[in-house]
Amino acid sequence: MERVRNLFKKKEAGIITIFIIVMIIITIGNNAFLSPANIMNILTTNIVMGIAALGMLLVIITGGIDVSIGWVITIVTVVIGEFSTKVGGNLFILILVACATGAAFGLANGILVAHLKLPAIVATLGTMSIINGLVLLVTNGKYIRELPDYISGLGQQYLFKVEMAEGGFYGFPVIWLFWIGAIVLTWFVLRHTLVGRGIYAVGGNVESAERVGYRPKRVLTFAYVYTGIMAGLAAVVHTGIVRIVDPLAFKGFEMQVIAAVVVGGANVLGGYGTVLGTTIGVIFMGVINNGMVLMHIPTFYQKIAVGLIILIAVSIDVVQQTMKERRMVKVDIKD
Amino acid sequence: MKKRLLAVLMVVLAVALVFTGCGTPAANSSESAEASAPAAEESSEASTADSPEPAGDAAEDGEFTALVLPKMIGIPIFDAFEAGAVKAMEDYGINVIYTGPTTADAVEQVKILEDYLNKGIDCVVVAPNDPAAFTPVLKKAKEQGVTVVDWDSYAEEGIADLSCRQLNDEEFGKAIWDGLAEAMGEEGEYAIITGGLSAENLNTWIAAGTTYAEEKYPNLKLVTDPVPCDEKQQQAYTKAQELIQAYPDLKGIVGISTPAPIGAAQAVQEKGLQDKIAVVGTVCPNDAKPFLEDGSLDSGYLYDPTGFMNATVYLAWQKALGKEITDQMEIPNTGEKVTVEGSDVTYAPPLKFTKDNVNDYNF
Repeated sequence: MERVRNLFKKKEAGIITIFIIVMIIITIGNNAFLSPANIMNILTTNIVMGIAALGMLLVIITGGIDVSIGWVITIVTVVIGEFSTKVGGNLFILILVACATGAAFGLANGILVAHLKLPAIVATLGTMSIINGLVLLVTNGKYIRELPDYISGLGQQYLFKVEMAEGGFYGFPVIWLFWIGAIVLTWFVLRHTLVGRGIYAVGGNVESAERVGYRPKRVLTFAYVYTGIMAGLAAVVHTGIVRIVDPLAFKGFEMQVIAAVVVGGANVLGGYGTVLGTTIGVIFMGVINNGMVLMHIPTFYQKIAVGLIILIAVSIDVVQQTMKERRMVKVDIKD
Repeated sequence: MKKRLLAVLMVVLAVALVFTGCGTPAANSSESAEASAPAAEESSEASTADSPEPAGDAAEDGEFTALVLPKMIGIPIFDAFEAGAVKAMEDYGINVIYTGPTTADAVEQVKILEDYLNKGIDCVVVAPNDPAAFTPVLKKAKEQGVTVVDWDSYAEEGIADLSCRQLNDEEFGKAIWDGLAEAMGEEGEYAIITGGLSAENLNTWIAAGTTYAEEKYPNLKLVTDPVPCDEKQQQAYTKAQELIQAYPDLKGIVGISTPAPIGAAQAVQEKGLQDKIAVVGTVCPNDAKPFLEDGSLDSGYLYDPTGFMNATVYLAWQKALGKEITDQMEIPNTGEKVTVEGSDVTYAPPLKFTKDNVNDYNF
């Protein structure tokens, strides 16, 4: 057990090492990178991604994938946009509405994947398309504006705020609590609940999981519902930051989320992934994008550099695992 | 081992998709474009009051039917165009269908046009996402006797019967950079946030503005290449924050594409830098109001999309009827005059919005 734990530690260590190297390079390029204001920027602009990635993590550990996540977030933003402008309510009710809406779409995905046994990518591509159509039907592609203060002011609330002499300020935005809450909850679910352990078991090997006593259908459905709930939470935070509902805001978002989770060390074939790794993956991607601008790298080169860094980060992980496997085979032969 | 290879392949695929996904707005998974097409048509049917279904019959009845095909539907500026198209339908008693793809995708746009050509239209008023991709279908349209009018971006040379420009690109670029110089005090560093690096009209405005500024305002210094925001306000907001960090002496941001200045103004407002950093750019007045009022946005620029689309449909109708389009011709109802140069028609000078006049507009 101790050995296994060490190996797990190593897996994240690869990403963390590259992360630190990249941060050092960026800081040398422009020391504004480590300023409190910039760190605040990076964290705040990646909250939505961070929360969504936690949901995606569960699905990826089960060996599945959820490409509908961007559109689920979109439809939740539309629902809360309509709800807050037409019905009113308060932030607490809005969060409940958002999470319930997200969970409903997650449940649909879960039923398709767990009970109808559709391949996850096919099932979620289908729901993605349906939700895409629904969003356009409801909004006609138009923005929803003039949201009530309790939601549109959410992004500007701070637990504390320090004004800087040269203009501007830094502080602790309230929306960070959403991310921290989601991180703690997801960590707890994966680490300390039966269903959380079941997610790893099912992702590793469905048959063995069933033999041990897990019910794979329930576990799988839970993973998709949880992703839906996280999508709902992400939608609230996004709306709090942007203050309008844009029906096209999350086009292409799913691939960025999947990339962040994979960079964070999760195994796309299932069975492995951690909250720590995923969160680092999200921040890592945010830091790279931020750092490119800070280092004054021209726009076209940025995309090439980002791609290379991701490939390096992921291949180190894969190479490490291949080497580990080879070692294991040797042991087998000797025994 | 096979499994491992598959894993690596999937990762590469995911990474590749990230880049195509966050690149130009035109690069989208064909899947989502496919999915959005029926919705696009449906939404337009709902919004133009007049159902497109009788279009074919209408043409036979002698009623004039024009198809207005914007680059995409869904972002606010295109809603304002739609209002103009609907107004033209009411004003001139002709049948106008306003529909387009939900992403700026040329393939999708061509498909829509082909569908309507089969249904029967008299005139197409198109803003091509990719001029080359449109040439075959527009040639086919002309063979069927359909009048071809382009707007927003040009079709390939010699194709369009009439080209309607909402404004003179040069003049527009100059107006925006004049506003920038005014807000910045004619000196200092500035950056540009653009909608997409491959959007031709945005690039033309930027080129016109920067060339003009180099001569007229030599002390304005552009710090880096235009930064793309993929037509998303959140992305513009993020990029503006990063630019402010990256260039501590930054005194101005120009946003080209309607979500860009709003995102930039939001970043400036949240950091309380209204007095330090000037933000100007292309905006829809309704979006810009709160930011103009609190000073985070200094001035916004745009043509009058509703009036322009009304005029374009009118001109297309006249052209299709075989009437000549002449210089200084007046558009009924709006009273604006058009400038004609060859097959190019330009409508009215750019509008400038400041906190004093923004409440006079509603789109």
